[in-house]
Amino acid sequence: MSNVHALGSSLLWTGLTVALFWFSQSLYRRRRVWWAAPAITAPVLLVAVALLFHISYRQYISGAGWLVTLFAPATVAFAVPIYEQRKLIRRHWPLLVGGAVAGSITAILSSWALACWLGLDESLRLSLLPRSISTPFALPISGKIGGTPSLTAVFVLATGIFGAAIGESLLACLPLRSVLARGALFGMGAHAFGTAKAHQISEEIGAVAGLVMVFVGLLNVFAMPLLAWVIRAT
Amino acid sequence: MFCSMKRGFNWRRQSVGWRRRLRSNCLFQVGLILLIWQAGEWLDRALDLPIPGAVLGMLLLLGLLWRGGCSLTALRRGSRWFMAQMLLFLLPTVASLLDHPEFLGWLGCKVLAAVCLGTLTVMIVTALLIDGCYRWLLWQRIPAKAGLEQGGSHV
Repeated sequence: MSNVHALGSSLLWTGLTVALFWFSQSLYRRRRVWWAAPAITAPVLLVAVALLFHISYRQYISGAGWLVTLFAPATVAFAVPIYEQRKLIRRHWPLLVGGAVAGSITAILSSWALACWLGLDESLRLSLLPRSISTPFALPISGKIGGTPSLTAVFVLATGIFGAAIGESLLACLPLRSVLARGALFGMGAHAFGTAKAHQISEEIGAVAGLVMVFVGLLNVFAMPLLAWVIRAT
Repeated sequence: MFCSMKRGFNWRRQSVGWRRRLRSNCLFQVGLILLIWQAGEWLDRALDLPIPGAVLGMLLLLGLLWRGGCSLTALRRGSRWFMAQMLLFLLPTVASLLDHPEFLGWLGCKVLAAVCLGTLTVMIVTALLIDGCYRWLLWQRIPAKAGLEQGGSHV
């Protein structure tokens, strides 16, 4: 009986998620404005539906949580566009490495400064630091430096959604010449959401974004002991 | 693989066609990617590394492609499929907001401001820095090249 119930709830929540995803995509096909982008409409609709029907997080995630597991093989699939752009990457890898290092430092400093300026408390401040890194990397880092992983998950998400939504307008505003800068803007600023968006714009930008995202994650995992030491010292 | 086609044995040609059809099948490619992901997860558990298994899988696949152990045509469609569905896979994580009702008020506005301004800063700084360096390198390279070519023509 409980198995039947679990299957039913899984089908219901997965169906709802997929339906919202398709709906938001078809909406964007009709109205090409930045606020109608699937990265904004789909999450907003999902939270609205959940609040409307008083669905709890546990209820929802037990049904649709398996979709998130599929993000891991999607990460594996990044290897294909990265390999396809190997010439570009081989020629310009120092630029990408430098950009990722500078971007990570900017991310940490800006999070810290903004949190202090807005008067957020210690645990929120520490949870904000690993915001620009994609979720599988950000959560363990948050725990190690003294933040709250579940809060960090929310911040990582907000970063991704906002970054993916604003990215295309930024591309139009900034005088960027190279594909590298455009890709790094998405990969560094908005991790997986940005990479998904970048792939919709062009294959090249998407490949650079994916590479930068993965590299930033790796960089931060190895830089984390240093960061934890600096935080403890101050 | 192409050699067997040239030889013209009928059964071989058929087997090659069958193989090619299987390799270009999107479902087969998705399955292949899932398999490599599992291998990455297994490696992660076996070696006890701080890197997520998915990233190890990606590095594994990159290595396979580089070494020629796996052809690009056998993966392109599956990889495109995964890329197109990425937002769907991230969507359920949004529901974690439901567990933090405190963010639906004034604190939420402040946190949102911190996140948005921070993201904007990171994006602008990273993109402008990379583009600036790229232009600088380009600008440095062009005069050098022009000088070389000039020198060459004189000789």
